[in-house]
Amino acid sequence: MSVVSENASEATQSPLIVWSQILPWIMASVLLAALPFVFGSGSALTIMNQMAITIIFALAYNMLLGQGGMLSFGHAVYMGLGGFFCVHLMNMVEYDNLWLPLPFLPLFGGLFGLMFATIIGLFSTRRAGTVFAMISLGVGELIAASSIIVVAFFGGEEGVSGDRTMGPTALGIDFASQKEVYYLTAFWLVLSALAMFLFSRTPMGRIANAVRDNEERAEFLGYSQRYVRLISFCASGFFCGIAGGLFAINFEILTQENLDLTSSGIILLITFLGGVGFFIGPIIGAIVFTMLQTVLSLYTEIWQLYLGVLFLMTVMFFPAGLTGLLAMHSLPYRLGKFSLLLVPYAKMALPALVLVLSSASLLELLFHARHASVGENEMTLFGITFDSHALTPWIVLVVLLVGSFMIVKRQAPSLYDAWQSANHMEPRS
Amino acid sequence: MNAPAIELSGLCKSFGTIEIIRDVNLQVAKGERHAIIGPNGAGKSTLFNLITGKYTATAGSVSLHGENVQNLKPYQINRRGLSRSFQITNIFPKMSVFENIRCGLLWSMGYKYSFWTLVNRQTKLTERTDEILEQINMTSRRNDIAGVLTYAEQRALEIGITIAGGADIVMLDEPTAGMSHSETDYIVDLIRTVTQDKTLVMVEHDMGVIFDLADRISVLVYGQFIASDTPAKVRSNEKVQEAYLGAAMEAEH
Repeated sequence: MSVVSENASEATQSPLIVWSQILPWIMASVLLAALPFVFGSGSALTIMNQMAITIIFALAYNMLLGQGGMLSFGHAVYMGLGGFFCVHLMNMVEYDNLWLPLPFLPLFGGLFGLMFATIIGLFSTRRAGTVFAMISLGVGELIAASSIIVVAFFGGEEGVSGDRTMGPTALGIDFASQKEVYYLTAFWLVLSALAMFLFSRTPMGRIANAVRDNEERAEFLGYSQRYVRLISFCASGFFCGIAGGLFAINFEILTQENLDLTSSGIILLITFLGGVGFFIGPIIGAIVFTMLQTVLSLYTEIWQLYLGVLFLMTVMFFPAGLTGLLAMHSLPYRLGKFSLLLVPYAKMALPALVLVLSSASLLELLFHARHASVGENEMTLFGITFDSHALTPWIVLVVLLVGSFMIVKRQAPSLYDAWQSANHMEPRS
Repeated sequence: MNAPAIELSGLCKSFGTIEIIRDVNLQVAKGERHAIIGPNGAGKSTLFNLITGKYTATAGSVSLHGENVQNLKPYQINRRGLSRSFQITNIFPKMSVFENIRCGLLWSMGYKYSFWTLVNRQTKLTERTDEILEQINMTSRRNDIAGVLTYAEQRALEIGITIAGGADIVMLDEPTAGMSHSETDYIVDLIRTVTQDKTLVMVEHDMGVIFDLADRISVLVYGQFIASDTPAKVRSNEKVQEAYLGAAMEAEH
């Protein structure tokens, strides 16, 4: 999927099929179809499924934050409710002879999310800004708290679990294997992402942007800002519900964790990390986050610290997110000056890598020295085993850190100059 | 259908104990170009906000084409054929010039809140948007982001957005404020072309612009009209000269 800025949508006469627009979708679908042949292990499939679910959730969240300018602090509720509903449906399929093939289940999760989004949106979307954010926070907390009280629906502390394989089957597919579930999830991912992308290209999607940018002006053009926000909110709730349904299928259990503030906070973090101003932003955010969460956490206990630092750096230095960082390079590329950046980037790469790794190693060392149990003084970093209580590793790492920092600092001005000249446009005549 | 385009009767507005608009009566006929002038703080913008539904009147009524529009929301009033610009430029700064105009067209072309049609596929919508860009001489700026336009261009764009929906009553709040002489001439010409056969109500400080454009002038002082007549008669009205015009005219020379 290409980096598409929603602001610069060209609106020329369009034939029915524009290959440059359809190609990214075809490529993404082919990639999704091919991935299990490369990463076929059970854990890889689980990670990819989780990634796909997070992508749908993040895209749905960005319908509010990026497209509609609404900051929600309680959005896990709509995904969670859709998920809980789907687990109950799975159980009805198993025990009450409800006829519902599993592939359609996420649709019902979506409808349930839509229903709740409509009810809550009716009052929460009256105002934008802080009022909306506070209501979303309150509603989120309310429903998360009621999950322990309304045991019949939320299952109390242990949650609700089900079995996805009990539904009617076709062609011998009963979704017992991870691979079958992967393809089902991938199918819903492409379908939902395409639907959300097209939504942003409809009159409603455009007006959602207009209300985000200037609600007063939009009102004086015949549009009720409140209805516009409500419709965005409902659409977002629908796609969150689909993500919830897929979660239910994948993990076969939903608990209070799926509804609480932490989950809501994470989706905000993911979307912002990826970049709210781009359609593809939440996708990148979800991929990066899931990788950090699943892969990095295998290697280090303090992965959340790295995630936090990455998030802080993004907010401070690249408010347009990781996608914004990529998009910054499109101008030099279009000007044909990208080659100017190659040498400075190459010169910077090694010292920057050493800087990042040595600071991470220092953190690991500190963590190990403070938290490892008594007597366990040996630790392994990058294949080297050493004593974390000895002085040598500290000295080596500090030297590496300071040295690489000095080199990075010395290289910085030339990189800056190269960046300036690569972005220099000849003034328009 | 001889009802006036705009009729205000006994209109009052107070904020707390402060009366801003005091018993204002006005009739603007269809196709008339009406200017509202008055010293700073006279309540001109408040009057605008009362007519366009941003504020609700404390007493009295506002009617458009003989229909009472009291208590209607701005978007409902807009749907009845009244469109406005703002004293402080009010556009969609992050969108392209083309998209700004297109947003102004969506409702009037019947798209409402639809999420089952793609805007780029709507040939008529694109054509109509380009026609309006042509009309306001901004075709060359079509794909630029509105926020980077010059001040005068942004004002012209706002007029474009305002007239895009085809409203038959156009209200402009100080369209030439802060502009140079040549820019003012350009905007006045623009207003004249795009409001042909429409009812125009404008607040303006520049006397040149007013005597150039307006069929009738109303003078608002301390929330009340002290005169409402043709430019020539208003100019010779003693009360007006005393309260406002004299000073302003002297300042002009």
